[in-house]
Amino acid sequence: MTAAQAPARARPPLWRDVRVLRVVGQAAALVVVGMLLAWLWSNLQNNVDSLGIPAPTDFSYLNQPVGQSIAGSDLRPTQSRLDALQVGLVRTIQIAIVGIILTTILGVLLGIARLSQNWLVATFARIYVELFRNTPPLVVIIFIYLGMFINGGFLPRVGDAVEIPNLLAADIRGISVLWVSFTDSPWPYLLVLVGAIAVGWGVVRWRNHVQDAQGKPTYPMLSGLVVFLAMAIVGWLALGGPTELSAPSVAENGRVTGGNKLTPEYAALLIGLVLYTASHVAEITRASIQAVARGQDEAAKALGLSAGQRLRKVILPQALRVAIPPLSNQYLNLTKNSSLAVAIAYVEMTRVTSDLVANGAPAFQAFLLLAFLYLLISLATALITNFINGRLAIPGR
Amino acid sequence: MTAGGVTTHAGAWIRQNLFRNARDSILTVVFGALLAFLTYRALSFVLGEDWEIQRQNMRNSLVGPEISGTDLWAPVIGIWLIAAAVGVMIGALDRSQHADQPGAILDPLRPAHWRQIAYRTVARLWPVFALVVFILLLTGSTTGLLVTLAAMALAFLGRAAGVRLPLGSVRWAALATALAPIVAVLIIRFGFGIDWNDWGGFLLVAFAGAAGIALSFPLGIFLALGRRSKLPVMKGLSVAYIEFFRGVPLVVLLLIGSLVIGLFLPRSLIPSEPIRAVIIFTLFTAAYFAEVVRGGLQSLPEGQEEAAKALGLPAWRITSFIVLPQALRNVIPAIVGQSISLWKDTSLMFIIGLAEPLRLASAFTRQPEFRGQGLITLTLFFAGLIYWIVSFTMSRESQRLERKLGVGQR
Amino acid sequence: MSTEPIAEELRDATVTRGAGGVIIELAQVDKFFGDFQALKDVNMKVGKQEVVVVIGPSGSGKSTLIRCINRLEEHDAGRIVVDGVELSNDIKAIREVRRETGMVFQQFNLFPHLTVLDNVTLAPRQVRKTPRAEAERLGRQMLEQVKIPEQADKYPAQLSGGQQQRVAIARALAMQPKVMLFDEPTSALDPEMINEVLESMKELARTGMTMIVVTHEMGFAREVADRVVFMEEGQIVEVGTAEHFFTNPSEERTKLFLSQIL
Ligand SMILES: Nc1ncnc2c1ncn2[C@@H]1O[C@H](COP(=O)(O)OP(=O)(O)OP(=O)(O)O)[C@@H](O)[C@H]1O
Ligand SMILES: [Mg+2]
Repeated sequence: MTAAQAPARARPPLWRDVRVLRVVGQAAALVVVGMLLAWLWSNLQNNVDSLGIPAPTDFSYLNQPVGQSIAGSDLRPTQSRLDALQVGLVRTIQIAIVGIILTTILGVLLGIARLSQNWLVATFARIYVELFRNTPPLVVIIFIYLGMFINGGFLPRVGDAVEIPNLLAADIRGISVLWVSFTDSPWPYLLVLVGAIAVGWGVVRWRNHVQDAQGKPTYPMLSGLVVFLAMAIVGWLALGGPTELSAPSVAENGRVTGGNKLTPEYAALLIGLVLYTASHVAEITRASIQAVARGQDEAAKALGLSAGQRLRKVILPQALRVAIPPLSNQYLNLTKNSSLAVAIAYVEMTRVTSDLVANGAPAFQAFLLLAFLYLLISLATALITNFINGRLAIPGR
Repeated sequence: MTAGGVTTHAGAWIRQNLFRNARDSILTVVFGALLAFLTYRALSFVLGEDWEIQRQNMRNSLVGPEISGTDLWAPVIGIWLIAAAVGVMIGALDRSQHADQPGAILDPLRPAHWRQIAYRTVARLWPVFALVVFILLLTGSTTGLLVTLAAMALAFLGRAAGVRLPLGSVRWAALATALAPIVAVLIIRFGFGIDWNDWGGFLLVAFAGAAGIALSFPLGIFLALGRRSKLPVMKGLSVAYIEFFRGVPLVVLLLIGSLVIGLFLPRSLIPSEPIRAVIIFTLFTAAYFAEVVRGGLQSLPEGQEEAAKALGLPAWRITSFIVLPQALRNVIPAIVGQSISLWKDTSLMFIIGLAEPLRLASAFTRQPEFRGQGLITLTLFFAGLIYWIVSFTMSRESQRLERKLGVGQR
Repeated sequence: MSTEPIAEELRDATVTRGAGGVIIELAQVDKFFGDFQALKDVNMKVGKQEVVVVIGPSGSGKSTLIRCINRLEEHDAGRIVVDGVELSNDIKAIREVRRETGMVFQQFNLFPHLTVLDNVTLAPRQVRKTPRAEAERLGRQMLEQVKIPEQADKYPAQLSGGQQQRVAIARALAMQPKVMLFDEPTSALDPEMINEVLESMKELARTGMTMIVVTHEMGFAREVADRVVFMEEGQIVEVGTAEHFFTNPSEERTKLFLSQIL
């Protein structure tokens, strides 16, 4: 080695040193943002002081009574504001779950219809998608609520209720639908159902295994379904029929009795959200199937798989993987859009908050809490999506 | 082709696409009936209803109830300005795209080209034309007709000027087109002195949408670069911003803008309600733009930045000359998509009580002569129609663009 | 160094040939990627107007070596001096070194949104502040040198791979660098295009450009290389003239490697 002399590294002056510049740049960014926040915070405190409202860190308002009730809930005006917020949170989650299920069914059907070889079916689906995708969801919701339900004569006046016997009865107070409810505690039978699903799933796995080993068709899905249904029915009988059906009907005086009553507000919000989001889900479904179908379908054909096998074994499993990230995005959108309820006075999380603020709760704290709750929901959705994505990921992709 | 040939052709098509087998035939009958019914309902609604309420309130729907008299010229001048600028831009684009085959450039000053220009314009903008015709027929306003014709003439002349600009002025034409709405807003606000609080109807939401896009775009780029930065502080701040605004519904943010922002500012600095809404739209959309732009940045091969570094270009030049032009170009369709979203989201100004189209639509039905007649279906339909037409047209354009960018050189 | 060193002396990586004077010097250079050491105590000098070819198996650190020379990678220990400027955290030094070194990549890395001429003139105009007309004159001259003056107004995607790589050479040359670094410039090319690029590089070598070339084109090495450096596992294993490598490489590892590529 010739370079025996220990190499010394030159030290540049500070203002030309990359590392120093990086640190300084970041510190400057922090200082600017910090100063902005500090300025806003001090304004907040000044304003709060001069207006004589609770300090921005004071959340005691949550313990005070709501002073009003919430339509369709058994919350008493004497209960705390925190309880009211909890009712709102549950409702937001509830409408999100119901909405997501309905949206998925409608959207996937429409997406497949878009690809139908029947021109009329495909055209119908395309018109649907173009119609709803390009209309603001608020317009859809308000149109259904004000334009159809409240002022449009779509729902008859009280005393003139209309019905589809045993399925649905409606007047301007709400839409009652056929509903299953439990006579007693629901848990025993729910446990039976969970068990039935687990066993049914096990049967599917087992029949699949046999099919692979012996090469003979063993109808795994069908057998699983039969086992599940058998267990569900036997369990229901064994528990002595723990459920009862409540069918809506129109009484003599023209009023609705029985069934599960959805208020017009809830129905309009749910229908609007589902109609709007389904148009996006349809597009995602179509695009995912098309993205996979090209090439893969040919390859599967070349292997001699039937059309049904190609769809089930090759196209759909891959399309699902393509679809999951954008789908989860749409589900999250639907959840966030449930806040549109404020426009039609359906009381969920956002509406509870704005009502609280209207009744004297401190605006800053109330909305901070609301934003935080939505962030939690978003975070949970992201975690679930990542988990599913990880489970489904194809190794090496 | 003989008539017989056409018939068998049509017959084959019908068999192939409507009656392949029994299941197909049933579907055809069911969906045919459904479509026929819906079309009938839609037509009888549009043609059969008495649109008097919307006829009387047309001006309110378009610009809000507070703008009247000579002030009405403010939005008209704005539209003219934008029409002319868009014309110039289309002309310049046409010229630059056909630089090597000048014969293919459509020149509005040559009558031989008129048919094709008209054909293309209508093919692309028919929903807008349908709306304008509907409005003009409904109101029977001669002034409206003249204003429309003047706007078309300006776009036409603008295009003629555009094809005569020197090559390479597309950039300037694009800049002019982007500036036109800004100038229009300034004319309306300051030239005519119309207070922000007096803006209403579609003028208000168009302003909020355009301003939101224009302002959020630079912020979005900035955040996207921050998110990709190797410096942990820049990255952390950007991620926190983006995830916050993407995690909270716009409705909640608008309520915060309406009810809480005031608490954060000294009294003298609190902007008017429409401006606060625009600020919220900007902050919100920037987070989404940031994600779009990040996608574009990720699509660039690493070698691009390295090659630029190896040439000795300083960091900010690398970003502005090499990275951003390519990244943004890759995500133009997504940018348009985000703009459509914002356009639809402007309807949320309803929630904070601004005079936007939906609120006006329900206000019309409370006017003495229309009260209690269930006319809100009509006014809401009209408001929804304008929202729909604008976003439908934009989304078609973005699909066109996507196809074009997909096949052209990258 | 007044007298030309004999072949035996050249087996030391720090003994140079060329027109006298050392232009690149690496002393005890280490480079880590996390825990993985990509360069281990690399000592090497390159003389002015010298052409050095670097060979070695995949992953041996060839790219890392030349990317450290223009600071696309930061070295972790040791000294790298280019034309009297030592690379450190000093942005001024980094800027100067990058200005004086041109680099050609395996994947060309042309800017697809700029025309060929704009690709070539971008850096002179932005970095050297050369006026546009002057930059374009120079740019066309560089394109002339790599024999594709007629492609100036096309976009990169409209050219063949060989043409693109020659544009990349012209682009680097337009900065009038003192040193040119090539990282496997022909390995992404179809066989029929390799020669046109090698021709341009040979021409460049004849003009007296200092070049470090990572390549497995041993024909090229034999024709223009003053020295060949064989690397393995981040270390310089053997150095010598191309002739030395063809006739009697001393290390077993070198022999094994050469038997695989020749
Ligand atoms: N950015 C990086 N992060 C982590 N490891 C890296 C990075 N770049 C290179 N390496 C590792 O350093 C080692 C040397 O890489 P280098 O690219 O210099 O090899 P090479 O000799 O050029 O190989 P090839 O002939 O394949 O181009 C390799 O093992 C590689 O995996
Ligand atoms: Mg390499």
